[in-house]
Amino acid sequence: MATRWIVLVALVLAAIATTAGPAQSQALIKIGVIEPLSGPVAASGNYVRMGAEIARDWLNARGGVNGRKIDLVIEDNKSDPKEAASAAEKLIVRDRVPAIMGAWGSSMTLAAMPKLEEYGVPMVVETSSAASITKRGNPWIFRISPPSEMEALGLEQYVDKLGVKRADFLAVNTDWGRGAISAFGDMLKRRGAVVGAAEFMDQAATDMNAQLTKIKGTGGDTLFLTTAVEQITLVMKQAQEQRLARKIITTGGSSSPTQLVKQAGAAAEGSYHIVFFMPWFPEAMPDGKLARMFVDEWSKRGHPFEGLTEGFRGHDGIATLAEAIRVAGKDEPKAIRDALWKVSLVGVNGPIKFEKDGPAGKESGQSKPSIFVVQIKDGKVALPW
Amino acid sequence: MNGLVLGGTYALLGIGLTLIFGLMNVVNFADGEFYTLGAYAAFATLGLAGTHFVAAVLAAIACGVALGAVCELTLLRPLRAESIDTTMLVMIGVWITMQNGELLLWGGVAKSIPHPFPTAPLVLGPVSIAPLRVFVLVLAAGLIVASYLLIHKTQLGMAMRATFQDRDTAALMGVRIGRIHTATFAFGSGLAAAAGALLGPVFLVYPSMGDLAALKAFSVVILGGLGNLPGATLGGLLLGVAEELGAGYVSSGYRDAVGFVIIILVLLLRPAGLFAKQERIG
Amino acid sequence: MTRAGRVVPVLLALTLPLWLGSPYFLHVVIMAGIFGILALSLNLLLGYTGQLSLGHAAFFGIGAYTSALLTLRLEWSFWLALPGAVAASGLAGWLIGRLALKLRGAYFVLVTISFAGVIALVSVNWMDVTNGPLGLPGVPAPALGPWSLRAKSVYYYLVLVAVLLAYLVCRRLVASRIGRAFVALRENEALAESVGVDVTHYLVLAAVVSAAMAGMAGSLYAHYTRFVSPEVFLFSYTVTMVIMVVAGGKGTLAGPLVGALIFTALPEALRAVTSWQWQMLAYGVLLVALVFFLPRGIVPQLSAAIGGRRRAEPASPTPRS
Repeated sequence: MATRWIVLVALVLAAIATTAGPAQSQALIKIGVIEPLSGPVAASGNYVRMGAEIARDWLNARGGVNGRKIDLVIEDNKSDPKEAASAAEKLIVRDRVPAIMGAWGSSMTLAAMPKLEEYGVPMVVETSSAASITKRGNPWIFRISPPSEMEALGLEQYVDKLGVKRADFLAVNTDWGRGAISAFGDMLKRRGAVVGAAEFMDQAATDMNAQLTKIKGTGGDTLFLTTAVEQITLVMKQAQEQRLARKIITTGGSSSPTQLVKQAGAAAEGSYHIVFFMPWFPEAMPDGKLARMFVDEWSKRGHPFEGLTEGFRGHDGIATLAEAIRVAGKDEPKAIRDALWKVSLVGVNGPIKFEKDGPAGKESGQSKPSIFVVQIKDGKVALPW
Repeated sequence: MNGLVLGGTYALLGIGLTLIFGLMNVVNFADGEFYTLGAYAAFATLGLAGTHFVAAVLAAIACGVALGAVCELTLLRPLRAESIDTTMLVMIGVWITMQNGELLLWGGVAKSIPHPFPTAPLVLGPVSIAPLRVFVLVLAAGLIVASYLLIHKTQLGMAMRATFQDRDTAALMGVRIGRIHTATFAFGSGLAAAAGALLGPVFLVYPSMGDLAALKAFSVVILGGLGNLPGATLGGLLLGVAEELGAGYVSSGYRDAVGFVIIILVLLLRPAGLFAKQERIG
Repeated sequence: MTRAGRVVPVLLALTLPLWLGSPYFLHVVIMAGIFGILALSLNLLLGYTGQLSLGHAAFFGIGAYTSALLTLRLEWSFWLALPGAVAASGLAGWLIGRLALKLRGAYFVLVTISFAGVIALVSVNWMDVTNGPLGLPGVPAPALGPWSLRAKSVYYYLVLVAVLLAYLVCRRLVASRIGRAFVALRENEALAESVGVDVTHYLVLAAVVSAAMAGMAGSLYAHYTRFVSPEVFLFSYTVTMVIMVVAGGKGTLAGPLVGALIFTALPEALRAVTSWQWQMLAYGVLLVALVFFLPRGIVPQLSAAIGGRRRAEPASPTPRS
């Protein structure tokens, strides 16, 4: 009978499993990193990884943390929540990391969260924007990226200056896109602006002409665009072809204006972008020296300039964890978590300090990142005013 | 109008796939990857070596043909005696390998292929379309015509059709079946690469671009009927146009559903495809 | 197999959580079990009736979402939600079976792909019910009276029982008259019909059982990972299932389970062995190599190679286990 084959294979696998011991290394402090390094958003995941590596190298050059060097254990979540959960489990159990940074996409982060609670390991969330992440009552989550509501608040002060009276939305059909539409929509209504159409595009879609035609018909003056830079490029080009004459504002911070100038050319002219890092004007950032150093190191390593708007997240995430480990005095998960509540540092984006968010008794940590607006003028990225 | 441009490229993909599927009975999961390969080849020649656009497309076709032939010779031919599922699985493996190879080689960042056309759109009455798209449509049409000529006017084409209709008799008549298989696969891959090179400048180039394209290609093949070239062409055009129109009327989130629903309806009502003259049970 | 030969593996399987090194490996085993059920279900269609369903992730996802929604929104107990999920997917399977009555081969494949595509889009857009792309976090773990079955070692037994159940159902089905009808249908449909086999009826039956089983796997998945999002409908899940069935050995009962074990362990093993850049590339290459050297599937070819009593070829007319 071939049933014995199941048994045989199972036994072989199990034998390997029992004999292979977990990887151990006493001297190094390990930090887990879970990012989408393959699949449709591989570019972004890799930028974050590059930023994290810069942080690690800088820390180690200064002697590490508490005298020990940092080692990043990097895992690919393949843009799949199931893999994000598996990666978290592997990092915690096999590699025994006391803390993790990840997992880029909101559904990946949400999928990994039960593992954090199961084993009691803290995670710094560097990119995900879904509000639910910090509201679910998971005390092991600390987020340094802004949820969409915070982003909308950051733009509120500029709404009148930008002259937004009638806005339409075009967003990618994910939690990020939908969250942005609802957050910005609420904010605009509060300011007395009118919200027109809300159209969606599939994450892999390349042709948005139909949606743009519908938007053209609303008579609005502003289009809010929330998606990854590749789709923004396509939307802008197609909007130009359709002669859609209105203000475009991109949200989410992943719009990489430099890449847009390169790939969308004249179609991107005049557009505004909400970013969390301005690599074109590092001195204008809260810690100008650090920002400039980061930009220089990035280009020294030959990484594409476009990636800076996302890569800084990796740096800030690792810097935050390193600071927490320093304050805690040891690389033990619970100590790190308690220390995270106490840290106050300045990353590339700006000051990082966690406030309580979520149901009482089980709060997650949410920092208030700085938010900036830039504009593409004459083929270059400029400060709008 | 945009529907025609999209449709033209779907047609190219469909023709190649329908031949491979119909003649060789291979479910070519890697077809999308040849599409991507074509796009990257065009990127490499145009963007890095700065050659003429048409030359880049030809280079892409050459790459597709070459790699397709290699695939057929090394992987498919030895497995020809196996079941269709086995060859399908091999192509799945090739798909995964190629896509991740591209990821490793080019990185995940999308690349933009520069093209020599002005970006200002041409306005023809109520329709405005970019010159690049017009050029793509023209080239696609040209390639479709060239494919017909190959299939119907050349000896190779005749041998292909003979093998497709009745393999054993063709073999008895002296047709080298092995060569025909290699040629067919290479031809199909070349067309897919052409489609990729043509659409690359219109959109962007990134490793997973082939996945959606491959799915559409399969739909086109079924719509048109297996092995039916005119069917694949018309099916491709139809799908492209239907998607454009459908997205205009239906909530944009459900846009892709339009394509799927059409397919389901067609299959329920005309199971052999819209244009098939004879029923073919896969 | 000898008495001891049977008892030892059973004992090992029953005591697995005790001797298996780490919870991470237990996690891999649980996922392998869930995918094993999925592979068995796909095998019913692919291996026994010869129809390829490339939309199987749809049944998996329907099961996962149904179970999650029943426990989250209606606060049903897991033990009711599971049959609910099975019923929902079974219904979907029935729908596909009846819709695709006239279709065979490639056409059937396309309908299944399209169906999966539509369901995926519905899950992403139907915000009120499925919460769209935000997914459904916090799916409760099953509970037996006052005891929660959340712990991995306990969940393992739940999955083990489910796998055994699935396996037994398949085995009984295959050995019965229904199973023989499936194979007849696969081998020569026209002939089968001419001797009075009601082809449509059996095809629909296969679709229903297959879908229902996939739905069960979906429910188990939802309550283990406790997070369901539209990604369960990803085509890559279907592709993985197909790999497991065909590489493991379609048309056999052990094949899908072996395939599930190997192809769940493989990506994780690659995680440990190679750095992230090479993982998926290595996976692809290994897959090609595996198919190249064992084209009939692992179980049939190894059985034949060892010179087992009869060659377990899927082409033979009598169903074998």
